[in-house]
Amino acid sequence: MGNAFIAVLMGLPMTLLVTVVAFAIGAIGGIPIMLGLRLRFAPLALLFRFAVDLIRGIPPIVWLFLIYFGVQIGAVRLSAFTAAVIGLGIISSAYLAEIYRGGYSTLPKGQLEAAHALGLGRATTFLRILTPQAMRTSLPSITTYLMSLIKDSSIASTIGVMDMVFLSNQFARQNPTTSGIVPFFIAALVYLIVSIPVAVLSRRLDARMSRNA
Amino acid sequence: MDQPLLTQALDLRAGVEIAHLKKSFGDNHVLKDISMSVKPGSVTALIGPSGSGKSTLLRCVNLLETPDSGTITVGDTTIRAGGALRAAELLALRRQVGMVFQSFNLFPHFTVLRNVAFPQERILGRSKEEAEERALTLLDRVGLKDKANQHPGQCSGGQQQRIAIVRALALNPRAMLFDEPTSALDPEVGVEVLTVMRELADTGMTMIVVTHEMHFARDVSDHLVVMADGRIIEEGDPKRIMSDPRQERTRRFLSAVLDR
Repeated sequence: MGNAFIAVLMGLPMTLLVTVVAFAIGAIGGIPIMLGLRLRFAPLALLFRFAVDLIRGIPPIVWLFLIYFGVQIGAVRLSAFTAAVIGLGIISSAYLAEIYRGGYSTLPKGQLEAAHALGLGRATTFLRILTPQAMRTSLPSITTYLMSLIKDSSIASTIGVMDMVFLSNQFARQNPTTSGIVPFFIAALVYLIVSIPVAVLSRRLDARMSRNA
Repeated sequence: MDQPLLTQALDLRAGVEIAHLKKSFGDNHVLKDISMSVKPGSVTALIGPSGSGKSTLLRCVNLLETPDSGTITVGDTTIRAGGALRAAELLALRRQVGMVFQSFNLFPHFTVLRNVAFPQERILGRSKEEAEERALTLLDRVGLKDKANQHPGQCSGGQQQRIAIVRALALNPRAMLFDEPTSALDPEVGVEVLTVMRELADTGMTMIVVTHEMHFARDVSDHLVVMADGRIIEEGDPKRIMSDPRQERTRRFLSAVLDR
């Protein structure tokens, strides 16, 4: 049991690393995609919409396989880690772009009108008036997404990233005397322990924001 | 509130001229050839049944709605509708005109103080200290200095609307537009807002007010404009129109709102 615990825990840094890097790619990559979705030039906005639906319409595991086995630069294939964070990063940027966009679209029309009526310029209005409010309204969805990403990062184990699920699997195979369920039970606990603080933090932020709204 | 709201209003005031303004939303002709003249320093009340186009007309003055044709002149800035508007023209017009909305539209993520100071910093290029000092002075004059560090959500509707008026005034507008400023407020709260507007009128600010407050229209405004179905059906001295309307449509509207 103790051995299993240590074996699984060795995968925690990798689980966190995949999650954090993919989330960072998504959080930044989501911005240009969100701007694309908001374009007034309809054909281009439609193109972004199509891209987002394409990314979200294919299962993450299929994306990782496509990137890991399909992408080759010269004779060099991507490492499992690189393929995993690129794949999960692209998927995250599509989901987060949609979340950001939703944040802007729920803002009352009066906010934009008030900024216009005051004579504030487009950039100031977008960055200082609309964005802070959009971020506030989308923050609960962003943390919910982060929580699901912590868990979905386990898909990276299927292409050989040595995260908690990969090491649980490995331990189960290499220790036939211990029941196979033990390492996965431990992994389940560790995922919970990591996810709960994110959930608590998200509820706190939410409460603080609704006080100021 | 002994001091006037805007001491420099007298030399800053601008007139508003609207000529042959037309606006349609699809097949719905909201404004049918409207011409109207607002003298510098006067208060014009715009009344009429809902759907008459009065709010749309007001929103055309600072181009929140783009007219299909016609001209709008505020002070010495003239905008000819129909062609493409340059962003610079648009800003030039909007920066001369302040606007107060029915739903206040304060920025909820800013404190009351920042709501009033931030636009000054961006538009007039004032320093943060200057802008906040001016904001506090104006907030004090409407009795809300103690709300400076709170967020709009912590203020009552009447307080929010007074803050919205102050936010617009802090930019030294040459004319002020009010779009049903008391319609979202309880009557006793609306009085606080009307008092501030009355004081502003006394300083000689050019004001166009879309309103259902007939007392305000009669007692404060210099000129009354009655709209129905996208047209001005009657205009003139408020007291004269209210006591002796010349149009049957005006008579019907007035008896409906005054009997309420």
